[in-house]
Amino acid sequence: MKRRQFLKSAAGVGAGLVAATAVAERTNAAAQEAKKGKPKRGVSVYSYSQVLGVCMTLEDCFADIYDMGATCFEMLSSHIEGYPNPTTQWIDRYFALCTKYNLQPAEMGHWCETHLHRGPMMTDEQIIANMVRDFKLANLLGFKSLRTKITCINQECDPEAGWERYMEKLLPLAEKYDVQMLSECHRPTLLTRQHITDYLAFAEKHKTKYFGINVDFGTFMHSSVPREQIASGAAQVTLTPLPEGSYSKPEDIIRVLAVNPRTFHAKFNYMDENYEEKTIPYKQILQILIDHGWSGNLVSEYEGPRRNETGYLGDQLRRQQIMMQRMLGY
Amino acid sequence: MVDTENIQMRGFHNLKDKDGKVWGFQFGLRTGYYKGLWLSQFRAGDAIVDGVRYPKETLLWNIQGIDYTREEMFDRMDQYWQVNDAAYVKVPKPGGLTQGYHDLVIEWGYVSNYNNELEKEYDGSGFGNAGPMMRRAGMGGQQAAPSGSKRRLLLVW
Repeated sequence: MKRRQFLKSAAGVGAGLVAATAVAERTNAAAQEAKKGKPKRGVSVYSYSQVLGVCMTLEDCFADIYDMGATCFEMLSSHIEGYPNPTTQWIDRYFALCTKYNLQPAEMGHWCETHLHRGPMMTDEQIIANMVRDFKLANLLGFKSLRTKITCINQECDPEAGWERYMEKLLPLAEKYDVQMLSECHRPTLLTRQHITDYLAFAEKHKTKYFGINVDFGTFMHSSVPREQIASGAAQVTLTPLPEGSYSKPEDIIRVLAVNPRTFHAKFNYMDENYEEKTIPYKQILQILIDHGWSGNLVSEYEGPRRNETGYLGDQLRRQQIMMQRMLGY
Repeated sequence: MVDTENIQMRGFHNLKDKDGKVWGFQFGLRTGYYKGLWLSQFRAGDAIVDGVRYPKETLLWNIQGIDYTREEMFDRMDQYWQVNDAAYVKVPKPGGLTQGYHDLVIEWGYVSNYNNELEKEYDGSGFGNAGPMMRRAGMGGQQAAPSGSKRRLLLVW
């Protein structure tokens, strides 16, 4: 039977349908796959804050980040020599290090200060002038996102009144310098807190991609581990569940993705020898990010004990990078 | 590179005027905090050396080569004190300190307007909303303590 005859036969029609369905399924699967996110693995220089300038240089930090297979980094304004006016020599050196260690700038951490003098809040003009100074610097250094600390009034980071007023004026300026301002949602703040809702509503109202939330994964911390056990290097650690309602649920991150935040803080407290972080549900969080097509920067932030020991710190960071590498598949 | 301690070993010396007369002494301090500070956010307190209290109003703070009084720092919202830069606290004391060991304490705090309430003393008279501070031994972190930063140091000259 020739091909044309076969296709006209009942068997041929059936086989054709099966083949067409298979092709459609493959196309659909490919389309679904294409929609999946590809987060990048990075490290925040914040992790090195206890040792940078004490026994490690910035180059040592960059070399370490490269060494563990990460491809991007976060730096704070506190790590920029001569901030807010680094010398051209420092800037040249910075770019040379980015090239040498094949690292992409991800995020610059900075602060939106509103009380730099005694007395009442600064004027909008003063606040904006300082912010634009940082926008220009971030833009110059290649950072596309800013972890912008908004002046707040309590440990849950509820903002000081008036933030919408100056933030509205900052939006076009952030767009001009292509830097996305991300307010950090950091433990004990929950992703369901009212000010997070307000920030997201503000972004939606202004139809902007230049203001959003940097989720610090510490907000998902559901158990605690005694610092003494971690510090002593105990093989077995005791997990104590935290009260229900005192931490965010992985799915709470979904609404934050609407403005496509460019960077999240991959906070961790303790990585065990099996490359597991048992206090934060990393697997579920990363799966949600992948399924929702998020391809931003995950920057490791170690905030456990013994951060002042280069060996311990480097080991913890490497364990966490292995965990994320295995979960992401690259 | 800086010392792991807040009070720095390097820079602890007597100070001479242009005629060679010793008018006081100085020592270096870094905050140890992960964030640099605008000078207007810093809250300088007294120095206590060998049990003698030197009032905050009499001290000079040399930051990036410029001397500031406590009062002058309040207006410098344009000068940044970077995390690993030492400030040198200049303490007037005619004749200075003798060669040998001395117990140094410096009281200080700062304003940090996140994860926190705003500063209560609007006139800057307190230690800010994040002070007084001292380094927590062995942990590398910070905690509030009434005595500021302290260290026993050897003066050579």
